[in-house]
Amino acid sequence: MNKLILGRYFPGESWMHHLDPRSKLLAAAYFILVIFLANNWQTYLLLWVFTIFVLYSSNVSFSVYLRGVRPLLWLILFTVFLQVLFTGGGVIYLEWGPITISEFGLLNGAYIFCRFVMIILISTAVTLTTKPIDLTDGINALLRPLRKLKVPVDELSLMLSISLRFVPNLLDETQKVMDAQRARGTEFGAGSLLQQMKTLVPIFLPLFASSLNRAEDMANVMEVRGYQSGEKRSTFRQLSWGIRDTASLLIMLLLTISMIWLRTETTGY
Amino acid sequence: MNSKRTLFLIEVAIFAALAIVLDLVPFLSFKIWAQGGSVSFAMIPIFIVAFRWGIKGGLLAGFLFGILQLITNPFIVHIAQAFLEYGLAFTLLGMAGIFAKPVKEALQNGKRRSYFTYITLGVFLGCLFRFLAHLLAGVVFFAEYAPEGQPVWLYSTIYNGSYMLPAFILSTIVVGFVFYKQPRLIKISS
Repeated sequence: MNKLILGRYFPGESWMHHLDPRSKLLAAAYFILVIFLANNWQTYLLLWVFTIFVLYSSNVSFSVYLRGVRPLLWLILFTVFLQVLFTGGGVIYLEWGPITISEFGLLNGAYIFCRFVMIILISTAVTLTTKPIDLTDGINALLRPLRKLKVPVDELSLMLSISLRFVPNLLDETQKVMDAQRARGTEFGAGSLLQQMKTLVPIFLPLFASSLNRAEDMANVMEVRGYQSGEKRSTFRQLSWGIRDTASLLIMLLLTISMIWLRTETTGY
Repeated sequence: MNSKRTLFLIEVAIFAALAIVLDLVPFLSFKIWAQGGSVSFAMIPIFIVAFRWGIKGGLLAGFLFGILQLITNPFIVHIAQAFLEYGLAFTLLGMAGIFAKPVKEALQNGKRRSYFTYITLGVFLGCLFRFLAHLLAGVVFFAEYAPEGQPVWLYSTIYNGSYMLPAFILSTIVVGFVFYKQPRLIKISS
C-alpha cells in the first residue's frame, strides 16, 4: 500500500532532476505555447528533437514515458481518426459518403498526434523528475506576485504541503479501516449496487471522524507553536536558481527563435 | 485558544488529501458497468467540507484537490483545457456549500426529508458546475483538435455525463448517510 505512488516521481541525479522547479514549470508551460507555432513537418521535426533531448536528459527510461501515454492512447487515436476521416483538401485518396481520406486529413492527423504526445511527454518529464513537494514550492514561488492582489499564496502553499504530507498516512488509515471491516465480515465489491453502497458508509464514517480529529490536533499543535495565519513564514526548503536554470530558459528562447525562423523560411509566414 | 482560521486551513487541506486518497485506492472503485467502468469517490470529502464550512470551504477544498491532481497526475492538451479542468472544475464542486446552512438546520431539527432534499440539491449543484466546466473544456479540446462541423457539444456531453451522473448519485447517497448517521460530524468543534 505504501508503494502506491503519489505522483510519479523517479529519484535520480540527472540534469532535469537538478533543475529548479520554477524553471521546469515555466519551461513546460512555455513549451505548450510554443508547440502551437508549428505548422509543417520541419517545425514538428524540430520539436521532436527538442522533446527527445528533454526526455534523454531526464535519465528516466523511455518505457516509463510510454506508460504515461498509454492510458490516453484511445482518446488520442479517436481525435486523430476524426481528423483523418473528416478533413478534406489536397489529393483525395478515398471518398465514401461523408468520409474522405485526403492528403490534408492525413497530414493534420499526424500533426495532432505529435502535438498531443509531445505535450504529454513534456508534462510527464516534469512530474517524473520533480518531487510533488518541490512542485508545490515552485508553484508557490511563481504565484507570489498574486500576493499583491490579496491572494493568500502562502496559506495556499501551506495547505498544499500539508495535503501532500498526509496522503500516505491517510492511505494507511483507509487500508486499516477496510481491514477492520473485512475482519467483521464485510465483502467489498460484491452484491447488488445498493449493497455495495451500504458497505461504504462504515468505511467513510470512521475515516472522516478520524480525519477531523487529526485536523483539530494539528491545528492546536500549530497554534501552540506560534503559527498565525497571515504572518510571514520562513521555509525549511530553499529554492536556488542556478546557472543551469538560466541556461534552460535560454534554450527555450533559442527554440522559439528557431521555430519562428523555420516557419518563415519554409512557409513564408 | 484554537482560532477557527487555523483549524479551517488544516481541515480543508486534510480533506483535499483524502479526496486524492479515495481517488487512488483502486479496490474501492465501484463496478457499475460490466466492462469495468469505475466511479471515483473523490468528490465525497469535498462535499463534506462544503457542508461543514459552507461555500468558502468547499471552493477552497475543491481548488486544492484540483491543484493536487495537476501536480500528481496531469493530463494537459491545451492551456485553456488545463485551466478549466484543473483550476475551475473541482473548485466549483464547492458550490454545494450554498446549502450548508439549511442542511445543518434540517439536521438539527430532525427534519429528515428536507435534510435529504438539501443534500441532494447541494451535491447536484456542485456536480452540475463541475460538469459544465468539463463540458466546456471538452468543447475547447475538440474545437482545437476535431475538424469543423463535428457535433462537439454532443461528444463532450456524452463523455462527461457518463461518469458524472453515477458519481453524483453515489456522492449524494454516501454524503447523505454519513451526516445522517453521525450528525456531530457536521458541527465544527469550538
